[in-house]
Amino acid sequence: MKRVYLISAVSCLLILFFAAFKAPQHLTVGSVTSTYKYIQPLDMEKYDACLGVGKGQKSSQSSFGSGSNNNTDVRDSSYCNSVLLLGTNQKGTPLVEYATQGAKIVLIPSIVAGFVVAFLGVLGGLIRCFEAPILDSAVQLFAEVVGALPRMVVILVCALILPQDMRGLLPLAVLWAILASPTAMDEAGAVAGRLGGARFVEALRAHGFGSFRIYLYHIVALNLRPVVVRQGAEVMMQVVFLEVALSYLAVVESQPSFTHLDNLHSWADLLRMGYFSLIADKADTLHALVLGLALITLIVVTASSVSKAARAK
Amino acid sequence: MFAAIALPFIVPGIITALIWALPGDPASIICPPGQCPTEILKEEFNLDKGAWYFFLSWLGDALQGDFGTSWRVMTGVDVYELMMGSPADNQLVEPISAHLPNTILLLMLSLLPITIGAALGAMNKPTPKWDPILVSVGIIPIVVLSLLVAALVEINIDLDAENIAGRIKILAGALTLGIADAALSGSIIGVRGIFDRENKQRYVGVSILRGETVLSNTLPNVANSLVGQYRSRILHLLSGLVIVETIIGIDGIGRLLWKGTLKQDFGVVLATATAFAIISALLLLFQALLEAGIALHIRKAPKGVALTAEQK
Repeated sequence: MKRVYLISAVSCLLILFFAAFKAPQHLTVGSVTSTYKYIQPLDMEKYDACLGVGKGQKSSQSSFGSGSNNNTDVRDSSYCNSVLLLGTNQKGTPLVEYATQGAKIVLIPSIVAGFVVAFLGVLGGLIRCFEAPILDSAVQLFAEVVGALPRMVVILVCALILPQDMRGLLPLAVLWAILASPTAMDEAGAVAGRLGGARFVEALRAHGFGSFRIYLYHIVALNLRPVVVRQGAEVMMQVVFLEVALSYLAVVESQPSFTHLDNLHSWADLLRMGYFSLIADKADTLHALVLGLALITLIVVTASSVSKAARAK
Repeated sequence: MFAAIALPFIVPGIITALIWALPGDPASIICPPGQCPTEILKEEFNLDKGAWYFFLSWLGDALQGDFGTSWRVMTGVDVYELMMGSPADNQLVEPISAHLPNTILLLMLSLLPITIGAALGAMNKPTPKWDPILVSVGIIPIVVLSLLVAALVEINIDLDAENIAGRIKILAGALTLGIADAALSGSIIGVRGIFDRENKQRYVGVSILRGETVLSNTLPNVANSLVGQYRSRILHLLSGLVIVETIIGIDGIGRLLWKGTLKQDFGVVLATATAFAIISALLLLFQALLEAGIALHIRKAPKGVALTAEQK
């Protein structure tokens, strides 16, 4: 079963990496720049060719009012694959580009946040194994104060304060990781405490093991691993949700998001499209909501698989 | 206790420290010159007189209820008025919603699902076989659930009837907060887990043999863990407030904070962030007092247990 989770985790991560790698710099059709002007006209010839609309058939371009009907010979397979795989929005922009751009926005910051939490969790566990009551008390005080701060409030305040050139998801993700670290440190500390803390280290020393083996193998790799990996995976997932939430909130207020550049589009755009199709009772962009939810499910599955793959035997 | 007292000062303190720690002019950091009149910003918040002066003057004013005026969200309006709502005799064209009371109402209502969940967990209901369903429901991110609830409200409620719409939005928001991000499921499973572990203790078996109820014996021992868990769930709700209020369209301080952040209204952000810190500090204080009360209760000798002559 553990192997299944491992394969699932690796597959999900590979999908995300592949999507992020394939993300275009700009949306190909109907894309807007920060000045809100179309940068490319609707490419209906290509689109109709993908749909197989030939001579004598009603073209989809009729609804947009431009282009010609002789288009069966201009079929661009890569374009068609991207368009037909996940559909388009009302402007004809392939949704797959929203998906890949969203993956590009969240991938690195979420992984970095996961590693930061895992590192701090390991630190919390190791401190419990040292004979250092002052350090232990300092960590507890840090955990109490940081743990009492409402995370979203701190994130928003920092988003306001960060200089324009530093704005992006990465600093917010690292901050989120630091705010989430007390839980990880506490849990890792509890695991180390159950092991026996400093007495466990002493017992292993008596068996003749070196410090490197005791701390890195016996404590971190064998005992703390499940906890810190789970915490890291959870924070990774939370960072993705944070990005989607912040971008969605920005879209709601018709403002640019501070988690990414204007030329990139978050998964929140997919959810917003789906929201409008829900309230307007139209099915034309409902698939955007389905895609948005599927991507969120992918993140949940990734985090869950990573946690379960790292569980102790 | 230390954190509870320090938190309302720590939050504005951190903001101040961050602004002055970053390279460059504080006013330009808060709002770049191209986007805001930084000279006015400097004067408004004493940003040109050093970190300590700024911090102490803001704190001194805030302690007297003066949070300054909003300069971008609602230009010229008192931030205090923005948070507490405009008085009835206000001459403003559009009355200002009572953001803080709305948020407190939303928070209180969202405690209902969590409290019910905790009670169910203590009664071991639903049984662990329902956990996969509970976990699946709980895994829904707050942004997704808010979006779906907002769509439902939008479709089914007549938004022109502002009074009713406002109340329904608060109810819907409370339900969203209480369910999403594992609030309800975590409460049920978490409390059940605490009681499961405690019920395995030997004294519980003895108490059953003595004809006593299990809960009366275990509750004082698990109360600290329960209170800690409850507080962390409320803290989690505080973070979710910003998302729920903005997406569902509830006029609360979460939404105000978000607007302040987007429009770079420093006064609004500072005041709302401090309001959040005060709520969080009150929770910490409540937890500390409850823990002290429980400790005192446990130290008391149990009633009705008379020592035998041999024990004496």
